[in-house]
Parts: sequence; structure tokens; C-alpha cells
Amino acid sequence: MTIIGLKNIIKLMKKVLIPEGLVKKGFLKNFKEMFDEIIQARELIIRLFIRDFLARYKQSFLGITWIIIMPIIVINSFIFMNKSGILNIGNTSVPYPVFALLGLTIYQIFSTGLVATTNSLVNAGSMIIKINFPKESLIISSMAHSIFDFIIRVFLLILVFIFFKVVPSYKSIIFPFLIIPLVLLTIGLGFILSLLNCIARDTTNAVSLLTSFLLFITPVLYPEPKGILKIFTKYNIISPLINAPREIVINGYISKPDEYIIASLISIFIFLFCWRIFHLVEPKIAERV
Amino acid sequence: MEDTMIKFVDVSKKFVKNLRKSMYYGVKDVAKNIFGIPARTEILRNDEFWALDDVSFELKKGKTLGVIGPNGAGKTTILKLIAGILYPDKGKVEVDGKVGSLIEIGAGFHPNLTGRENIYVNGAILGMSKKEIDRKINDIIEFADIGDFINSPVKYYSAGMYVRLGFSIAVHSDPDILLVDEVLAVGDEEFQRKCVKKIKEMLKKNISLVLVSHNLTLVGGMCEEVILLSNGKVIKKGKPEEVISYYISSLEKETKNIVYASHGSIKITKDAEIMDGKILNKEGKEIYTINAGEEITFNFKVKFNESIENPIFGIIIKNENGEIVYGINSNWKYIKTGIFEKGEVAKVEFVQRMTLIDGIYYVSPAVSHHDGLIMCDWKENILKFKVISPVKLIGFANLCSEIHIHRNGK
Repeated sequence: MTIIGLKNIIKLMKKVLIPEGLVKKGFLKNFKEMFDEIIQARELIIRLFIRDFLARYKQSFLGITWIIIMPIIVINSFIFMNKSGILNIGNTSVPYPVFALLGLTIYQIFSTGLVATTNSLVNAGSMIIKINFPKESLIISSMAHSIFDFIIRVFLLILVFIFFKVVPSYKSIIFPFLIIPLVLLTIGLGFILSLLNCIARDTTNAVSLLTSFLLFITPVLYPEPKGILKIFTKYNIISPLINAPREIVINGYISKPDEYIIASLISIFIFLFCWRIFHLVEPKIAERV
Repeated sequence: MEDTMIKFVDVSKKFVKNLRKSMYYGVKDVAKNIFGIPARTEILRNDEFWALDDVSFELKKGKTLGVIGPNGAGKTTILKLIAGILYPDKGKVEVDGKVGSLIEIGAGFHPNLTGRENIYVNGAILGMSKKEIDRKINDIIEFADIGDFINSPVKYYSAGMYVRLGFSIAVHSDPDILLVDEVLAVGDEEFQRKCVKKIKEMLKKNISLVLVSHNLTLVGGMCEEVILLSNGKVIKKGKPEEVISYYISSLEKETKNIVYASHGSIKITKDAEIMDGKILNKEGKEIYTINAGEEITFNFKVKFNESIENPIFGIIIKNENGEIVYGINSNWKYIKTGIFEKGEVAKVEFVQRMTLIDGIYYVSPAVSHHDGLIMCDWKENILKFKVISPVKLIGFANLCSEIHIHRNGK
């Protein structure tokens, strides 16, 4: 290593802390700093993910099977309600369990991710007030859990597809890319909600209420509704974000690509906006958590 | 300057006393930040107080700084500002280099993970890469010295083992600046010695150290400069001996603590009674904390209830373990005290140089006569005092050593 290289490292390490220093910095400079920080923290993110993963399943007999128990129960109760005529779901192009489980699996990226990210800062409270590290890593590693759970649920999904002899479209290979906006939206909201949770613990309860409520007003377990519910779903950006990937798998096309694109752009905007707020507020987290 | 590692320029930090207010201010400040409105952190609002007030200092490469002061003085806040956990509300903090913080080590340990797994997590939090940890893990485990427990979940660890592991990870993260906060108080003496040795080794490699401790001997022994904080303000800054002795003298009022205890089965006649005792310094001021080597006076008043011929006045000094460190009486000094009449009150002074090692001591004065066969009064542990020495010593006596080293046999 040359001496110049060494000097650069030292220069990188120098930190100057002044009140509201971040606010005074330029807009783009901030974004560059934010990206650099995430890249520097990648190993920490992986470690935190492994730590929480091990911790979650070490003292448990059923282990990761818990991930698929919840969707199985929800789907079965809907099938039961559908068959007994309590709830009329209407016609779906593929057998209902396939349709619903696919939708629910996508929706759960959002719901489990939102709950996990919201609680991530508060759960790490003692660490935050004692050690300085990029707090974004907590949010991102929490989101990684939601994505890991999703991958496990995909295996359940494959079994259900085989069982009902449904052949997914070959276009399903772009499925992983189509869920990216939903992931970004979740992280974005997670940034803000985790901050709110530091200030007021009401957020935890509000978020779990919100995710179960959203499940009912979003066409996840039922196809696009008519009547009063339609008004709800029209302005619900989560609905195209879930429907588009599902349609690709089942039908091989997206029926309303314009809605999906608008929802995606809004999600990306929310993600960047919330990330920036998180970054600005980050130095204050240790005081309030 | 090139080699300035830490620089505080008029740094202030405020905290809120009230939880509700904290929530309210939190929302307000965040909202202001989002819209780019300055939150005016330099102004104190209701229920806020300055935890640090206009603190300035500088720490150069390879130097050591001690921070002392009563609880709540803002010592840990300084460390948290250096570590970047907190941001200043006024002033500027400059930190140049990787900070290794021993503020409550073991933070981030997950109770269900084994020691080995936690090394990786904690190492990553402290900024080590996996490769780096792979390389150092054996050193870390060896230094922590917790045996087979390394493969058990840390929730089964004793408090000491927890700290040993945490300390070991922190010191192996190769910091440029090491922050140490009272952690050495945990763990047994052997481990404490090991830690101090390790820190001293690291100091040789030109790292800088900030040490926060109530152990004034440790601070005096390790630091080249000491800051005394009180209520968030720097009261005194300078050489360790000066600052520590200043701190001690300001503490004296608080240490007053007279202890009465029983004195065994010796028959006390109460022919004479010890009324009260004081420790006076050279200026005749009452003190409770003594600098090692200082000349002081134990002053007792004795009231005679009967007339007594040639009473003997003595004292015994015991350490905290109840071991007798020193004893003297007027008889052994061949002092013929003469006759004291009934009702007379005598003032007895013992003047001596306190060449003791640091610690807590108790004084038991006694009055006897007939060559010590009849005990008039014996007040066990009537006085308590504390000896502080700027250097670390062990044993009972302070022999005031000077150490000369002549190289090449000259």
C-alpha cells in the first residue's frame, strides 16, 4: 500500500460533528453519503441478519416452518368461508387457493417487512445508545428477514402449484423484478415508521392494525372488486404492486401496466424521500430511542 | 494540527428531563429538519438542561486523557460525543480516526447466540470485516479466557465473562482512539490487571486513550492530562496530580462519615471518656480525605470522670479489612502525662505523616492507665478517612520509593 492510499483512508475517517450538520449539507451530497454508508455497512447488515435469524429459530422446535403456517391458516379459513357461502369470492382464472396464496405471499413481503422494520430501531435500543453504527443497517437487515420469509413461502407456493396442476407462465422469470417496487415501498415506510416508533411506541400497534386492515381492503385474497370496495382499491398503490406480479405468473401479462408504473414511481419516490428523512434524523435517534 | 485526534470546541449538549416533552420536542425537531428549518438547538426549552456546557479540549495522537467528576457530571456524554453516538447541540466535535469504544461493552450481544457467534456480530458492529475477525478470533478467545463457554449462549455467562468477551473484541478492533468508561470495575482483579496491561500495550502503539473513571488512582496512573467535570462544566484541566487533588479537596465535605462499632470484650470503666475526634490538616482545617504523605493531626477531646494518674492515650489505624495498619500510644513514646483531675477536659493530638497506600481507613482512639491494664475508654472506628495516592501501590505501607535506573551500569 502506498502512503497516499493510507492518507486517503485517514482522510475518510475524519469526522466533524456540528449541530444539524447534515441539514446544512447539499442535497445531492447527502444522497451520495447515504449510498456510501449503505455500501460500507453491507457486512454489518449481513451479520445483523444472521444474528437475528439464528436468534429467531434457535430456541424453537418448529423453526422456519412457522413462516408457512400463517399463510396456510389464512388461506384455509378463506377457502372454508368461500365454500360455506359466508363469503362470495367470485371467479378466479386459476383455482382459488393458488390465486390467494400467490397474492398473500406477495402481500406478506409488505406486511411482515413493515412490522419488522418498524420495530427494528426500538428493539436495538440498547445497542443504539452505546455504539455508533449506521442505523440504516437495522432497517435493511429487518427487511431482509421479510424477503427470506418470502423465499421460504415460494417453496410452499410451488407445492400448491404442483398440487393444483397450474403451470405458471414462462414470463414468471421477471417476477422477482416486479416485486422490487413493493420492497422499496416497504423499506421507505419502514424508515419513517421506525423513527416514529422511537418517539411514540403507539406505532407498533398502529402498524399491525394497519397491515391487517390493508389486507382486507386490498384485492389480495379476492379478485378486483366491484362497488364500494372499488373506491378503496382505486387509490391503493399496493394493489397494482401485488396484482401485476401475480398476473405475470398466472396469465403472462399485466392487465393495467399504467397503474403498475405509476405505483412503482410513487414507491421509488417514497423510498428516496423517507430514506433521506431517516438519514437527516439519524443523529437524533440515540437521544430519543 | 496534523496529529490532533479529538478536538472539542465549545461543545454543549442538552437533554430533556421529561419523557412527554422529549416525545413532543422529538417530533418538532424532526419536522423542522425535514423542511430544512433550523431547529435552534442552542436554545434551552422548558425541561431541558445542559448535560455538557461549553466544553473544549484537545487530544493528540498517543496521548491519554482522564475525565473525572461526580455522577451525572457529563463524563459519559463526552465519550458518546467522541464515539459519534450523540451529536453536539452547540460547538464542534472533530474526531480523526477509528474509535474503539468500551462504553458498556457487550452491547449488541444476543443472549441466545454463542460467544463465538457474538464475536462476529459485535465485531461487525465495531467495524471489523469478516476476514479480519477470522484472523483475530483465536486471539480474541484467548484473551477473553472463558474456556469452553465460548460455544455456549451468552445468556449463560456470568457478568464477568460477558465483560471479558466484550472487552476482548473491542481491544482487538484496532482502534486509533480508545474510549474506556468504568468497565474495568467489572471482572476480577486479575482480569482488571490484564486489561490495564493490554491498554498500556496499545498506548505504546500510539493510540489515544480517553479514560472515564471514579478510580482516581487508575486515572492518575494512566493519564497525562485530566479534566474535572461538574454539572457539565469543565472545572479544572491539567496535570493529573493537580486536578485529582483539587477534586479530592472539593469532595471532602461529602466524605464525612463517622462510624461507631463495638470493641469486643474489654471492660471499659468510663473513668475517662473520648468526647469527639477530628482529622485536621496542616492549616487546622477539618478533612476526611488525605493525600498520601500529607502531614495531618488526629485531634481528640477526652473528659475525665475520675482523677487519673499518668493516663495513656493511643490510637489504632485499621484498613477496610480490619487489619491493624498502625498503632501508637503516649506510653510507647515515653510520655509521662501527669495527673488529670476529675472533670478536666484534655485535648490530645497525634501528628504524623500519612505515608499510607490509598484506601479507606478507620481510627480507634483509646485511653487507659496503669500501664494499659485498665481501659477507661476505647472508641472503635470513631473516625473514617480515605487516602488517595497518585501512584498505584500495594501492601500496607507507603515507603515513598524513588526509582532510579542507570543504563549500562553507570
